[in-house]
Amino acid sequence: MKRWLAILLLLPAIATAGSLQPLTPTDVPALLAPPAHGERLIALWALDCAYCEPNLQALARLQQAHPQAIELVTVATDDMGHHDAIEKRLRAAGMAAWPARAYAEAAPERLNYLLDPQWGGETPRVLVIRADSSRQGFSGELTAKQLQALAPKP
Amino acid sequence: MRRLLPLLLCLVAPMALAHQGMAMPTEAPLGASAAFDAQGRLWVADAADGHVRLRHSDDLGHTLSAPVAVNPTPEPIYAEGENRPKLAFGPHGELYVSWSQPRAKPWTGYVRFARSLDGGAHFSAPVTVHRDRAEITHRFDALAVDGEGRVVLAWIDKRDQAAAEAAGKPYLGAAVYYTWSDDRGAHFQPERALAQHSCECCRIALAATPEGHVAAFFRAVYGDNIRDHAYALLRTDGGAVQAQRATFSGWHIAGCPHHGPGLAIAADGTRHAVWYEASGKPTIWYGQLQPGHRAAHAQAIAGPGASHADLAVHGAKVWVAWNQVDARGEALMLRRSDDGGLHFGPARRLATANGAVASPQLLLREGRAYVAWNTATGFRLLATEDTP
Repeated sequence: MKRWLAILLLLPAIATAGSLQPLTPTDVPALLAPPAHGERLIALWALDCAYCEPNLQALARLQQAHPQAIELVTVATDDMGHHDAIEKRLRAAGMAAWPARAYAEAAPERLNYLLDPQWGGETPRVLVIRADSSRQGFSGELTAKQLQALAPKP
Repeated sequence: MRRLLPLLLCLVAPMALAHQGMAMPTEAPLGASAAFDAQGRLWVADAADGHVRLRHSDDLGHTLSAPVAVNPTPEPIYAEGENRPKLAFGPHGELYVSWSQPRAKPWTGYVRFARSLDGGAHFSAPVTVHRDRAEITHRFDALAVDGEGRVVLAWIDKRDQAAAEAAGKPYLGAAVYYTWSDDRGAHFQPERALAQHSCECCRIALAATPEGHVAAFFRAVYGDNIRDHAYALLRTDGGAVQAQRATFSGWHIAGCPHHGPGLAIAADGTRHAVWYEASGKPTIWYGQLQPGHRAAHAQAIAGPGASHADLAVHGAKVWVAWNQVDARGEALMLRRSDDGGLHFGPARRLATANGAVASPQLLLREGRAYVAWNTATGFRLLATEDTP
């Protein structure tokens, strides 16, 4: 009985730990708002994209190297309906610790457009939002050089 | 303690149910294909509840028949984005259907096929068309029938990438493989490689040449992840196949464009094509392919927000349709050329949609062009001109 109880008590914690949050069009302005300092990296990825996971991991390493200057948010362009598959993939890639969102919009291309009108939906895509309000978008797995350029200047 | 348990269960159960509910797709996926048969009847293939299903319409899409299940036993089916069930017709009323079946591992699939020889009343048991049964990518199937009635299937295949990886060798992209059937889909030839280093995630466009061959136009990988396009004939005579680079945009992306091209070959052999690239700003291009060289009469058809173009040609008329998104939602757009693709008229909005939409498909019927557009609110067939 005690073991049962322990499992039951743990379940809500397991269910909410690093849990995936929906991204709706109304959430976009807050996500794109300049951070107070440094930069926010919005890492767009998709379940059907073999290039995406190594890209997420590279961004995670960059964020860990500069935890004060860089904020990392992962956004799956797959619908929130694929919740379980998205969370499973994030866990398998060692990405469960970062804030994670998934599309929750009837017309996903509309969300693409709201996030970045210059983006055709190719993945991976990284949006850089800087404290000085400047923005940049990169398509494809980032090269070592591109990653280095994203690191804060000493 | 015993009193606590029901309370805890009440707290936990809704959470578990919410998770379950989220995992269940609520609507049929939008990946669908449409085509007119020789009698002018419209057919629509899509997927629902593990079945590829066929519906037809005798009133230009206003009403659709009850669906007929192609595969009697449910199975997973790719029916989203660039993956969608396909259909084609043989010269004697045969109905051919293909689809890609996801396997357990991510990015994997088998190409499946079934046929009906009685006008869609009954279908053969589905078969996997390739001999290779490794659990890797064999998906993004494309289906066509050549001038001799052969059923031709091409798809994205990762066997050579897997072999290179196992040998510790680098290999960019995937490959395109194809097969054909000489007996109306009863048997398929052992598959052949058409090209190495294709894009992994873009649909393949197939079109018939005036000589009756099937030609493929697909996104390929050149050099260090330059994702331009290649053109090749799918030879069924045992001769060597050769894919030639046919676009030279120079778009570099180590990623998944999820954006395949379109191809329509005119009676005079002109290879009209559309493709997408974002080396600068995202652009849908039109051009006339000259494999090995830059396309002739290349011109930008649409810019940012435009995606998934298709085209059709009849005489001197060329139509290009695509999805255009902005902050308000999706629109179906069209441009028409009356001089064989030298110039295109202004973009015209044919329809809008509030929810999700699938890639448009341009279809010809008695010299008129229609756009098949599957949307979250239902399948639509739109006339490109005012019907008389």
